[in-house]
Amino acid sequence: MGDDPGLGDTGVKAEGLVKIFKDKKRGQVRAVDDVSFEAHPGEVFGLLGINGAGKTTTLRMLSTMLKPTSGDASVCGFSVTRQGTEVRRNIGFMSTATSLYGRLTAREMVVYFGKLNRMHPDKIEKRMKVLFELFDMNEFADTRCDKLSTGMKQKVSIVRTVLHDPQVMIFDEPTAGLDVLTSRTIVDFVRQCRIEKKCVIFSTHIMDEVDKLCDRVGLIHNGKLLACEPIEDLKSYTDSGRVEDAFVKIVEAKS
Amino acid sequence: MNSAWTVFRKELLDVMRDRRTLLFMLVIPTLSIPVLMWITSGAMTHFLEKLAKEKVDVLVLGQQHDPKLVDELRQRSNPEKAGNRLAKVLEQYGLGEKELALVKGEGKEAFVRLLKKKNVDPKEFIGKVMDSVNARDFDATASNIATQAFPPNFRIITKLDRHPDLSPDDDDYKDVLLNAVRTDEIAAVVEIPKDSMKKIKDEDTTRITIRYLETSDRSTMALKGLKRIFKSMSKRMAIERIKAHGLPEGFAAPIEIRAERLPGPGLLVKLMSQFLPYMILIFSFLGALYPAIDLGAGEKERGTLETLLVAPVSRLSLVLGKFGVVLTAALVSSLLATVSLAISLQAGFLSDLSVLSGEAFSFSATEAITAIVMIIPISCIFSALLLALSIFAKSFKEGQAYASPLQMIIILPALVSILPGVKLDWMTASIPIVNVSLALKEIFTGNLDQHWAHMALIFISTAVVAGLLLWFAAWWFRREQVLFRS
Repeated sequence: MGDDPGLGDTGVKAEGLVKIFKDKKRGQVRAVDDVSFEAHPGEVFGLLGINGAGKTTTLRMLSTMLKPTSGDASVCGFSVTRQGTEVRRNIGFMSTATSLYGRLTAREMVVYFGKLNRMHPDKIEKRMKVLFELFDMNEFADTRCDKLSTGMKQKVSIVRTVLHDPQVMIFDEPTAGLDVLTSRTIVDFVRQCRIEKKCVIFSTHIMDEVDKLCDRVGLIHNGKLLACEPIEDLKSYTDSGRVEDAFVKIVEAKS
Repeated sequence: MNSAWTVFRKELLDVMRDRRTLLFMLVIPTLSIPVLMWITSGAMTHFLEKLAKEKVDVLVLGQQHDPKLVDELRQRSNPEKAGNRLAKVLEQYGLGEKELALVKGEGKEAFVRLLKKKNVDPKEFIGKVMDSVNARDFDATASNIATQAFPPNFRIITKLDRHPDLSPDDDDYKDVLLNAVRTDEIAAVVEIPKDSMKKIKDEDTTRITIRYLETSDRSTMALKGLKRIFKSMSKRMAIERIKAHGLPEGFAAPIEIRAERLPGPGLLVKLMSQFLPYMILIFSFLGALYPAIDLGAGEKERGTLETLLVAPVSRLSLVLGKFGVVLTAALVSSLLATVSLAISLQAGFLSDLSVLSGEAFSFSATEAITAIVMIIPISCIFSALLLALSIFAKSFKEGQAYASPLQMIIILPALVSILPGVKLDWMTASIPIVNVSLALKEIFTGNLDQHWAHMALIFISTAVVAGLLLWFAAWWFRREQVLFRS
């Protein structure tokens, strides 16, 4: 797969990512330990693991918020360690921790991030118009973000994430703590991204979501990537054919 | 740089929509000074006037030793009688009953305003009222002038109700007096010596003792009033004695002192140059404080930091944009404080000042520009420091906890401008914050010409420190341990 000529320019390729944190009590902690995987355009790559497994740290390295202790990753052909700005220009990143600026209106919020992505004002306007229409947001476009409901906020976040039309979308537990309807908006949106041939990386600890959304799954535990295969292969690990059973079996076998 | 500008504009819009920031940046620097002045001077005037109007009892012991002297004391401490003298003096200035009534009714402030309106030199006026040739020795603040024009209001009593036979020879004499003053039964005690009449008759000196309590305002005010009355009685007697001997009036006053102010900066300038540097530094810090915490720790607390960090902007642009907003707040806040202080002083919130000086606090373009040039780098230091602290903090509360000790560290050196006698020299010019405080003081006093070399040193050293701190803040903002502290 590594010799796929198109991959380098459109997908994500992590090679031996390691992140060591220094902790006062526990000393050195290998939060992410030699993680390598590839994610391709038009597929949803799921990063599955329990809390504290290293999902967030991995995704933060992919989005250049954290520097890998060793190893590297490329996003659309740009190195996360050496070409941070270019990487960020090509990703849309969304997590429960990526909140909105409460004192800005939905429109101001979106325009601000358009500008930070160096988009031309006319292009921002055009694209915003389409997206606001698509997500039915015109009603609250000029309302301050702190006055919006959770669902409305998620829509603004989505628009903020895709405004610059990135090739790679990274979702870090985007549905954590959301109600059914709001999660649904996001799940639908992830599917839409796949249709648009974007490369999607999606982390979660909810087995069900993996089953519903992902084409391939990376199973991460204690910082190590224990398995990385198509969802169907994963499910065939146990007789039940359920992701959850496969997860438990693999974790017990390998750790 | 383009992104830094984008960040700057967004952050400015953001903090301007925050009521707390607006309060710290605009409202507090504008209002705190006049309100503080108004409260302190207004309350002081109020209570002093109340004290002055109040009739207080003064115990005179030994009246029998010199009834004439005590009688004159009684006359002079009676506002009605003294008012007549005031009326006479007013007449000399072409002022009549109407003005006297006005003055009596409205109190000191109105009285001093009236004098000023009629172009009467307050000192000369007091001199006439007190028939003292040394009137120029008195402090010429409005309250002093008025206090002197309005006689003290004493009721002279000759014995205490509960100790009618009290005598200075008693063992418990001082204890009884102390108790009487403490309970506000009397304000002070005047002891007339046994040989008083003889001494005066012999053209000698009679030694009168006044006993008072240092901690009681009523008592110390009574002491002042009594001193004034006796001083003026003494003057009268001296003149009588000199005349009786056919000597010239100046015989008993070989030296007379007149303190004449040079036509330079006066009291208003002095006060401004003392308080303004302190105000500017404090409000620069306070103005920066809130936006800094909002733009650093606030991002973490509200969970917007990651949103911002995944945007394709360099960390340097983020820091510069945020720093620009904090600096703007610091400068706006200190500028407002300056304007507010200048207006308050000239509008006469400190009425004493406006009356006596009639001077204006103004400075030349060079002075204004130099002051601004001195303020900018120190504000940069505050902004960079606060921003760095704030980025480190995980929450608003934590940010404020870090900023409070910093505030104490900054207030103390800034206070130097208020201390008397600390001068700007090569030593003080090399102490951070102290040097800017003193530099501003010299600028506002009008001594800029003597200190160009100091100013250059202070500007360069402060600017270098500011640059280093800004560089530090930018480096700080790149550290994962700072941004993702857990």
